[in-house]
Amino acid sequence: MRWSNTRSAPPSGIRRALVHLALAALASWSSIARSAVFPTQGVEPAPPGATQATAASQAVPVIAAPAAPGPAAGLADSAALRATIFGTPAQNMAPMPNRVPLAEINIELPWKRPVPDVFWFDRKLRVWFSAQDKPAPLAIVISGTGSDGNTAKLSVLRGALYGAGYHVLTMPSPTFPGFIVSTSSTGVAGDLMQDGQDLYAAMQQIIEHLPREVKITDIDVLGYSLGGANAAIVKSIDARAGKLKIHRAVMIEPPVSLFSSIGRLDKLFALSVGTGDDAIDGLYRQLYAELANLYRASDRIEIDEDFILEAAATVLKTDAEFSAAIALSFRIDLVNVFFAGDLYAGTGVVVDPKHPPKVSDSLDETQRILRNKPFSEYFTKVFAPYYLKRRPNTTAAGLIADNRLDIIRDALQNDPDYYAQANSDDLILDKQELTWLRTTLGSKIAVYDHGGHLGNIGERRQVSDMLDMLGGRWTGVAR
Amino acid sequence: MRPTVITVLLAAALGGCVSQSMSIRSLPAQDPAAENAAAAESAAAFAAAAATANTAASDSGQVGGGTEQTLPPVTPADAPSMVTYDPWERINRFTYRFNARFDEAIFLPVANTYRRIPSPLRAGVHNFFGNLSEVDSVVNYTLQWRLKLGARSLGRFVINSTLGIGGLFDVAAKLKLPGMPTGLSSTLAKWGMHPGPYLVIPLLGPSTLRDGLGYLGDYATSYAVDVAKLYRGDVSWGLGVVNAVDQRSNVNFRYYATGSPFEYENIRFLYVRKRLIEDEGLRAKDPKKGAQSTTQQENASGEPAGK
Repeated sequence: MRWSNTRSAPPSGIRRALVHLALAALASWSSIARSAVFPTQGVEPAPPGATQATAASQAVPVIAAPAAPGPAAGLADSAALRATIFGTPAQNMAPMPNRVPLAEINIELPWKRPVPDVFWFDRKLRVWFSAQDKPAPLAIVISGTGSDGNTAKLSVLRGALYGAGYHVLTMPSPTFPGFIVSTSSTGVAGDLMQDGQDLYAAMQQIIEHLPREVKITDIDVLGYSLGGANAAIVKSIDARAGKLKIHRAVMIEPPVSLFSSIGRLDKLFALSVGTGDDAIDGLYRQLYAELANLYRASDRIEIDEDFILEAAATVLKTDAEFSAAIALSFRIDLVNVFFAGDLYAGTGVVVDPKHPPKVSDSLDETQRILRNKPFSEYFTKVFAPYYLKRRPNTTAAGLIADNRLDIIRDALQNDPDYYAQANSDDLILDKQELTWLRTTLGSKIAVYDHGGHLGNIGERRQVSDMLDMLGGRWTGVAR
Repeated sequence: MRPTVITVLLAAALGGCVSQSMSIRSLPAQDPAAENAAAAESAAAFAAAAATANTAASDSGQVGGGTEQTLPPVTPADAPSMVTYDPWERINRFTYRFNARFDEAIFLPVANTYRRIPSPLRAGVHNFFGNLSEVDSVVNYTLQWRLKLGARSLGRFVINSTLGIGGLFDVAAKLKLPGMPTGLSSTLAKWGMHPGPYLVIPLLGPSTLRDGLGYLGDYATSYAVDVAKLYRGDVSWGLGVVNAVDQRSNVNFRYYATGSPFEYENIRFLYVRKRLIEDEGLRAKDPKKGAQSTTQQENASGEPAGK
């Protein structure tokens, strides 16, 4: 930047560079899928039947690619996929406060392992905190698979909780690379109990270091998706350890079995995208062509945020495309988890344990290999070898069983302070798992007919039920 | 008392840290109610626009029926390779890390502080610099032989510099003349220059060789024209800093917010694809030259994207 060493200012140029950077970020491989999967609420192109295009796609529901016949590769129906992609429409959102203060906390944890060169930026755990100006209960919210502690979904939950009088602490998922590097005591993410212990230890550190002016009267934990399961586990750990005296836990649309849920997402990927380099290349080429044609037809000078959101709504029309976007979003998260796990466990799938990559090394090839790998391979080649070595008394089947909510079944069943919210059309659950949740939690679960996976977060009923559960006012669905 | 807590958090932020291992930095407050209202509004606008577009499409019997669609549409086979041409990768990666550290330590905190200034004031500053950049747009639209757009930029510059009080208000946008900035990089693209190798510019960030030349050229143009002696006068240095801070504060990006070790690859991939798609758009608006698109040429020669 010239102005730093000359007396002259270049008002133009900088702007474009930074705008490009922002758009690159906005559309960043992860957020392209995420902005497709979790865009700002309410950019759904039109309510069903409102326009001709939608009416047409309703009349002929399966224009899907041959790879994905039938609705949603058999995992969920069209409405569930739409909800998962577009989220809660803005007009259905619960009332939100006008002002939510926010602070960012970076903490270096005492048990931090040596930070690998390629992860130099993930040295500290980063969480976000909103403080009430009076003594108040603290709600700790844990993010979903692969996500940091400041997602759009967390912002919605933060708004609702802060508005209801809670201090709010939002934390990344234990599968977020920043957590794996800064906080995980193993580096191999995805083990419910291990991740729960790491989360619990980190929570203690953070709370201990909060300014004394923040008066906490009570502590509740909640989380969405995988974070929901993490929250319940953390409460169960605290029930024994008693360090935080966590009062209630609310699981928002949790998986019941980690591996079966992610297995379903593997299947979704295989059916909607395909397998191997050619499949991903094909999807990329199709997207590129569609975006290029859309852009040509528009009057825009530059690809900007509005264009991307519009394009997401225009390009994603069929069930196959919705499925591909959802599957891709999870795959992008998995690539990070896989890489970190392989590096820490020394399993040598893509990272040579003797010569780990350095900052200046290209990771192109590594990334290309990893994006073809399903979750099942993470389990067989990294996760299982690592944990079986450390837990000689267990088997691969045992590891899978350890990653079911069954491990805290008694608590879920008998302790009145565990709650859950679930959608009957959630694509990460099958019928038996939903039934298991219903029977285990009894009256402490609210099951909604529609919402897909996380497609109703922030919706009026979801929020009011969640607040009732947290406040101990929940009396079951038959109110 | 709310102010107390905020003061405490702010003091902690200014003090750098509460303890050695933990730092708290206060951020601008969020307004979820307003965000929601805005989202509802834009959803309604979007639905209305989609309905109009559908009607138009069914009237003309063609989706996106622009009159300039004389080119054959881009097909998946035309898409450039997923591999990006990056012969300077080692130095680029080094620069990327430098940029990330500079941004985290200096640029972003300064921009965050700047964001506390009331938004009408910041909008004025933003409009002021936007108006100055119209000079580049006029020159480059002329070089691109898109004279109507050049005249439009000139018109905007004149209107905003006078009625808009030196560019502080974007009066032209209210007169249905919203800004459509362009620069030398687009001109070079229009003339048929390929993006060239990927290039991470210190402090500026992702770019390509062509875009880098574009920045230099745009700066040289501004310097040569030297509107109101802003570029060569005594205030130029300070102005440059304010401009940089203004631009940074309008960009919602944070290095390594993804936490991903593949961020360099991802940003490079997206940046170059974005520019290639924009090039497609430029060519489409000039059917004679656009008969053979960048990506088609690349594919024919089997070279990586961006070369």
